Amino acid sequence: MIKAVFRIEIATLLGEDNLIDLRKVGRLAMLCTQIINAGHKVIIVSSGAIVLGSVRQGLSVLPGSHTAKQAAAAVGMAELIRVYQQAFDEFKQLVAQVLLINDDFVVPKRRSNATNTLNKLMQHNIIPVINENDSVSLEDIVLGDNYPLALHVAQLTGAQMIVVKTGQEGQYIILNGMTGRVTESDEEGVIQATEMYKEGEGSLPADRMKYPGNVNDFMTENQA
Amino acid sequence: MKARNNLYNKQRIVIKIGTSSLTFSNGKLNFQRIEKLVKVLYEVQSAGKQVILVSSGAVAVGSGRLGLEKKPENVVDKQAMAALGQAELIRIYQKFFDEHSQLVAQVLITKDAITLSDRRKTAKDALLAIIGMHVIPIINENDTVATEEIEFGDNDTLSAYVADLVDADLLVLLSDIDGLFSADPRKDPDARIIHEVYDITPEVEALASGKGSSFSTGGMATKISAAKICMESGIDMVIANSVNPAVIHDILRGEEVGTLFSFGAFTEMKA
Repeated sequence: MIKAVFRIEIATLLGEDNLIDLRKVGRLAMLCTQIINAGHKVIIVSSGAIVLGSVRQGLSVLPGSHTAKQAAAAVGMAELIRVYQQAFDEFKQLVAQVLLINDDFVVPKRRSNATNTLNKLMQHNIIPVINENDSVSLEDIVLGDNYPLALHVAQLTGAQMIVVKTGQEGQYIILNGMTGRVTESDEEGVIQATEMYKEGEGSLPADRMKYPGNVNDFMTENQA
Repeated sequence: MKARNNLYNKQRIVIKIGTSSLTFSNGKLNFQRIEKLVKVLYEVQSAGKQVILVSSGAVAVGSGRLGLEKKPENVVDKQAMAALGQAELIRIYQKFFDEHSQLVAQVLITKDAITLSDRRKTAKDALLAIIGMHVIPIINENDTVATEEIEFGDNDTLSAYVADLVDADLLVLLSDIDGLFSADPRKDPDARIIHEVYDITPEVEALASGKGSSFSTGGMATKISAAKICMESGIDMVIANSVNPAVIHDILRGEEVGTLFSFGAFTEMKA
């Protein structure tokens, strides 16, 4: 059993009209459900609240001020989780909404609290969809030097793999937490990569998980 | 009755709805109730007032979605069900508000977002911006990550803090009881509703004992706590039964429904 964190940039789910492309979300939902049905665990870290909120409010440009961003995020947060639920419902896969702020990673008690909740959800084969709680806090969740949310979540949950959706349909980048290797892959390749980590087959204990060298660089360079 | 006549003028209104009002006793959703509530909120908003909804129900909805028989007991299970249910709950609100083309915003908060001064300003600015855009914020405690240090514990208290935060004119607590009674109406046939309360006296506090259904955390005690916060801020508060959400219209028309806690006289005396 492995845990895979899917990092989804909202731009990769939009169509040419800049609206959510339900077919793209559907493909993603099927892939994630496939991995869960094979006995693995999936977490989604998704951006997009501000973008979706702005569209919903009929804004032609993204809001500039802190407060306007928060308002857009609050509208978009509701929309974002609805989009995911609609797509996953097709496959009878439950998703949960988890909104985090920096304190949830840095305050020890809150950190363990967040970890417990995420693990409990995965235990029930529910996919946590994680987003920053932008409507009450716009501080980016950044620990140390520019260390992005998906990496935090992977470390928090002991995930072995981060799968980044690219803008090219059906294409992903796999960040292998154990080898530190970054590879490009199609959907089939993502499924194969998860299947490589069957129980006892060369997987490392969670406390030895590292995202060294190029994986970290990749995540930092490709931040939104 | 003068205080009732004044309710017509209330402009910024926080409305809190409890779990037992949104679900049946088995935890399943009461869609008809939610649809009616949404319609009333939309009508109030359309009449030029500003509406802020504080909605419970995430844990019950999550538990129902997963097919659990009753609400989970331990903290981790509760948090997981909150995460599952919150997603579902906001979708249902969106579905019903969409029918009126009314935008909603989702705001999940923990206590520190309101009590720490710098974050308080951030939360306040965001909420004021949202209502300024004629969007209805739907607020709930961020149960998924709330630890005991940062939790409100119940949404009656949370809604009073929210009312204070946004300088609301009125807080309406909708639940499965008609208001504050002179005795426990489930036990005492002589119990009668108290329609107006102008001060939180020891007698009033003594009336607020006991708890609600197996799916709700509140009871009269948390409503009195909320009333105390409103008293501090000079905000009127009404407790009413959610069985017909149109009761909100009755309240705003000044009709004698539920229990009104009005502290106008009290604040005048202080001034």
